[in-house]
Amino acid sequence: MPEPIVEVHELMKIFPTTTGEEKRAVDGVSFCVNPGQIYGLLGPNGAGKTTTLRMIAGLLTPTGGSVRLDGHDPQIDRESAKRSLGYLTASTGLYERLSPREVLNYFGELIGLEAAQRRKRIDDLIHWLDMSAFATLRCGGLSTGQKQRTNIARALMGDPPILIMDEPTLGLDVLTNRVVLDFIRAEGARGKAIILSTHYLDDAEAICDEFGLIHNGRIVGRGDLAALRAQSGKTRLSEIFLKLCGEDEHVLSGVPGVATNNSTEGTGR
Amino acid sequence: MKSYSRIWTVYRKELTETLRDRRTLMAMVFVPVILYPILMVVLMQALSSEKGRQEESEYTVVVPNEAHKRWLETILLREDEEVNAEQKALDAAAKAMGEEMADPTGRAAFRTRLGSKQIHIVIADDPGKIWDIVAAGAVHAGVVVRPDPAVDRAADPNRVVQILYSDTNPLSEVIFRQLNLILQNEAGRIVRDRVTKLAGTPEVLNPIMTTNLSTTSPDKQFSKVLALIVPFLLVTMTVTGAMYPAIDLTAGERERGTLETLAVSPVPVGQIVAGKFGVIVTIAMVTTALNLGSMTAVIQFSGIAKMLGAPTSASAAMEEMEAEQTVQSAPAEPGSSAALQRINFGRRQALEQETNRRAGFVTTAAPIVLLAMIPFAVLFGGVMLAVCSFAKSFKEAQNYMMPVMMSAIVPAMVVSYMPTIELQGPLMATPVANVVLLMRELFLGNFRIEAVVIVLLSTCLYAAAAVAMATRIYGNEAVLFNDVGSYKTLLLRKFMRPQRVPSAAFALLTLALIFPVNFFVQSSIVTADSGWMDLCRAVGITQVLLFFGVVVFLAWYAKLNMRETFSLRLPSALHWVATLLIVAGIVPLSATIQQYLYATFPPTSQMQQMMQAEAKLLSGIPLWAIVAFFAILPGVCEEFAFRGMLLTGLRDRIGTWRTVLVVGIVFGAFHIYVHKIPPIAIVGMLLAYVCIRTGSILPGILIHIANNGVGLIADSMVKANDPRLMDLFGLPHGDEQTFDYSVNPRTMIFIAAVVLGLAIMVFTPKRPTPRSEPRP
Repeated sequence: MPEPIVEVHELMKIFPTTTGEEKRAVDGVSFCVNPGQIYGLLGPNGAGKTTTLRMIAGLLTPTGGSVRLDGHDPQIDRESAKRSLGYLTASTGLYERLSPREVLNYFGELIGLEAAQRRKRIDDLIHWLDMSAFATLRCGGLSTGQKQRTNIARALMGDPPILIMDEPTLGLDVLTNRVVLDFIRAEGARGKAIILSTHYLDDAEAICDEFGLIHNGRIVGRGDLAALRAQSGKTRLSEIFLKLCGEDEHVLSGVPGVATNNSTEGTGR
Repeated sequence: MKSYSRIWTVYRKELTETLRDRRTLMAMVFVPVILYPILMVVLMQALSSEKGRQEESEYTVVVPNEAHKRWLETILLREDEEVNAEQKALDAAAKAMGEEMADPTGRAAFRTRLGSKQIHIVIADDPGKIWDIVAAGAVHAGVVVRPDPAVDRAADPNRVVQILYSDTNPLSEVIFRQLNLILQNEAGRIVRDRVTKLAGTPEVLNPIMTTNLSTTSPDKQFSKVLALIVPFLLVTMTVTGAMYPAIDLTAGERERGTLETLAVSPVPVGQIVAGKFGVIVTIAMVTTALNLGSMTAVIQFSGIAKMLGAPTSASAAMEEMEAEQTVQSAPAEPGSSAALQRINFGRRQALEQETNRRAGFVTTAAPIVLLAMIPFAVLFGGVMLAVCSFAKSFKEAQNYMMPVMMSAIVPAMVVSYMPTIELQGPLMATPVANVVLLMRELFLGNFRIEAVVIVLLSTCLYAAAAVAMATRIYGNEAVLFNDVGSYKTLLLRKFMRPQRVPSAAFALLTLALIFPVNFFVQSSIVTADSGWMDLCRAVGITQVLLFFGVVVFLAWYAKLNMRETFSLRLPSALHWVATLLIVAGIVPLSATIQQYLYATFPPTSQMQQMMQAEAKLLSGIPLWAIVAFFAILPGVCEEFAFRGMLLTGLRDRIGTWRTVLVVGIVFGAFHIYVHKIPPIAIVGMLLAYVCIRTGSILPGILIHIANNGVGLIADSMVKANDPRLMDLFGLPHGDEQTFDYSVNPRTMIFIAAVVLGLAIMVFTPKRPTPRSEPRP
């Protein structure tokens, strides 16, 4: 049994609001990810996925609970924790007036790689992600897919043992989507612990080893696909998702003539 | 070293990216290097073509009858003659001096002169309707003379002339002004004729002739004009230059989603902000330098200097004046009044020639002015960075920039318009105004070390607070993500989370807040002629309200742990012993440091005057009040501000030694007199070190009280002819007090006590200070 490299324990985040009320965005989330495992953190919009991932990455300070990344607490050993982490979201941008090569070089320098190491790593990433056609163009002129490939390369620059991917395939065409998913799978096979959050449940079903279904800040379902099927009595991940989030009756009530099977297609792909 | 190399990495990358931004390049290079000169050329062209148009235009003047027409035409012809004669005399003078003197003062370039040929005189069909003709715009002006020129002049030699014109027609205004001038000249000629006829000689016409010779060289005369304008222009340009990079590197980065990637990279926020800050200051300074260079070039090579009133040559102006007189009166004979005007004239010419050999003034002053702009760029770079860090988008940041720009430009403008304001008192610590005034002084060639030091130190303190604030805001999660609460949560107490100690930003901001107030109160105390009770009240209010009250209130507001922030705990027994040793020796030590510094860097006479004034101020105060207000109150209150808030704010971030250094220097800077800063800074460093080692504020309070109290008591005993305490310390007193430097062996014993006390603190374990989060 391998040691988990990511440990999330009773994580909680309460946002103050100006009206004085508290907003519990994340309420006691716990899970572990082992090296080589791809963990799918799934849930509807506003469930608290992104907040959870940001707390894991140390971008937000948890109100309660703790996080360990490769043994480091991101709130205390900030640098060591961040060094063990690659972070990628749909909203992360690139420096538009730099080329992908320059962006990678910059982050390589920030991580502290030597010049020779940087060059090798950049060449490797450009080769793996098939970026050579646009590696020296300015990022501002790249297509969404090219940008996302650059972003992935950026997250992998330091070859971190942990990857956090928040909607990495949002807005990508089928081809780039395939490239990204293959890459995630390959990285998992190379022993990285990957936390993946996505709305594309088919993709998640295809590549994740283990799942955490999050709803209203709490984990409502966990385990591998078999465990989730046993828990919910449904087969497909999208059905399981609706069942466990307690929204199936809710969503379908008042929509006459819509069969359950068809309606779930909208949530998946 | 690693942190510096990463700051350098951030700096290089941000600079590359900024230089690839068209907007920045526009503000930085295009505007000063291309736009200003072009605008200037266009302006000059427009001015001269306007003048040309005025001179080439034809003007129509309506008069009631034929006699009017003849009368006016005669006057116009006479004016023509005189102008031609003047020009001829000028040309002759120029030829005699062998110089080009087509336009000796440059004034003619901006003066319109109309010849008689351009002015057409028409006779009104109906003399009673002249008003209506002019009002309808059919002609440019109307002239009515009473008594009518048709009437013989001998009967009544004086006439009244009425000129009708229209304010809304520019050409009408030109001819109106021109007619006035011509008629005045004609009046002058008539007076000259009458007087000459009566006296028999034109000499009587000039009872007093004045010549004005400035003993200031022409470049300095010019610099006086520039000193009023240029600092303001430079402030505006520096702010403009810093604006785009400040927005782009903060709000822009957030908008494009790159801030998140930077936040997850293993680099402390402070280093990222430091790199960005460096780029903003660099761009601001490059913009300023380019602007200054462009301005210099425009001033040197275009006619703008003449417009600004730069006297190109007083001797040339003199020639022109003499030429005018030659026409008006008889030629100057040797020994006549005109010749007497030439006394001292050689000196002036020599000064002008010497100036011509030197490089142009602007070229020599530019580097100094540029240096003076650096603290300003640092300050506004920091402020803009902090303000922009709040903004969620480029657009929002631009809105925030408006008040920031105003807060830079308005003080600069106000100061520019008040040439008699001097860099003194509270103004030295007033942000922006102090820099603008310092620049003006440098422009005029005044260099006062104390002004430079105070302006630089205060500006650095404000800038440090701004940068620390920017770091704090930049790393804040409410700023990192738009969806996390509102900014009120950053400012309102109920949203604040309890903190163990203040952040560096909070501590520096607190100090930056009380700095100008303290400066104002202190400088008003020393100049006041009020009694000792007023003085004590002012000191008491500053100490209790400012250093203690404001600091403790802000600590409460930010929910800081008071015990940790102000080190409210007892030192160990051994540290008590060490403290008492330092208490015993602190006065001889600080007196020796002071003597040593004064011997090495003798205070200027101005500083000595201030010291004497201060001593006189204290001499009238009873001993108990001195001890209470100048020893105990500062001992307690200042320790809370400097060794409390400031020290704990910095200690965990920048380490012991840098904290000791910064606390000492800031402590010194609060004591407004330049000569006091170094010795007080050294005592401040000692106090800071003691506080860090003992983990308690108490030893510092005791040492501070001893330092102030025992020193003042010893002084007042000397004044009462009782030098026992001074002798005990082996310190010179009374008449012996000079700026020579030698250490009495007795003094050495006391200094040894301090050293022993410090040694005990060095070699005994530091009191552990618990951290807010438990280490794993």
